[in-house]
Amino acid sequence: MSEKTDPKEIFGLLARLAVGGVFIYSGVIKALSPAEEFAYAIETYKVLGAGPSLWAAYAVPWVELYAGLLLAAGVFTRWSGLFTAAMLVFFEVLLAQAWSRGLPVTSCGCFGAGSSNSLAYEFFQNLVFLALLWPALRRGRSFSADAVVGKE
Amino acid sequence: MISKRTARLTALSATLIFVSTTAVLLARQLNLGPTRPAPDFRTFGPAAAAVQIYEYTDFACPACRHAALALEDMLKIYGPAIRLSFKHYPLNIIHPWSMAAAAYADCAGEQGKFRDYAAMLFESQGKWGQAKEKPAEFETFAKKLGLDWEKMQACSAAPATLKAVKFDMAEGNVKGVNATPTFFINGKRAVGGGQLLEQARKFDALLRKAR
Repeated sequence: MSEKTDPKEIFGLLARLAVGGVFIYSGVIKALSPAEEFAYAIETYKVLGAGPSLWAAYAVPWVELYAGLLLAAGVFTRWSGLFTAAMLVFFEVLLAQAWSRGLPVTSCGCFGAGSSNSLAYEFFQNLVFLALLWPALRRGRSFSADAVVGKE
Repeated sequence: MISKRTARLTALSATLIFVSTTAVLLARQLNLGPTRPAPDFRTFGPAAAAVQIYEYTDFACPACRHAALALEDMLKIYGPAIRLSFKHYPLNIIHPWSMAAAAYADCAGEQGKFRDYAAMLFESQGKWGQAKEKPAEFETFAKKLGLDWEKMQACSAAPATLKAVKFDMAEGNVKGVNATPTFFINGKRAVGGGQLLEQARKFDALLRKAR
């Protein structure tokens, strides 16, 4: 009797890779750039001062990179997925408050200080990533490190 | 007591984190990260030039002065085949007025005279470089070039001007610049005029490949 792969599992895997890949890219592009640039972008959200923004700018790219890697590889998939979702929700809150306050945020800082998508664009993009996390966590664990290690 | 499965997954996580961290840090050293373009007034040569040079420089640095002369010769010889972008990297600890010089040079650039002002700064770096008080040369040069000195003063104190210099310095730090002049020639690092000239010997081959 042959084992057929459920297409939903393939979609879940692709969704997991997509969201994980975006976080890896976002983390790497910021980690390879001066933290001061990202810190300046964070400051424009008027939530943190200059000092804490710089500390956040040092830490966030690495957190994104690691979260993206673990999610893409399917390591502790549930937890890395939930953590990624929490990060996305946090980013949405920041974007929404900047948008509602009409802050002059020219660079969201999401993909390096050079990126210049509008706040609305980034907000809806993140909603898409959040939506993708649902099938990623529900169906995307068949092809994951968790599944491989679990079988041994 | 954690299960074997959890232990294996934890080890895998640690491995992924270690490898990715090492890869990113290596990528920084190899200048694989993005380089912010310099402002137009600090960039010379066509965007599509076969040889792209980024120079991290300090106006009070003697080696930078010699390199600047060598670069002028290169621009004359290779013309549109070279694109040169200046990035500020003032060594504030040993050159107390370099940051101010960089700011004034950018402000002169906004009035269309970056190159001339920079040349004057390099030429007389012995006079202003270690001055005990704010050098009068900054104003003298501006007036010699017919620049609006009041506008330059306001510009040099503006947060945006200082931010531009600090971003260049931060970018240099990420790329592992710790001496001036440091060049990145088509992404390859050269420190000092000697290494620049060494790389320049390969320009002919590079340009032949590009044709």
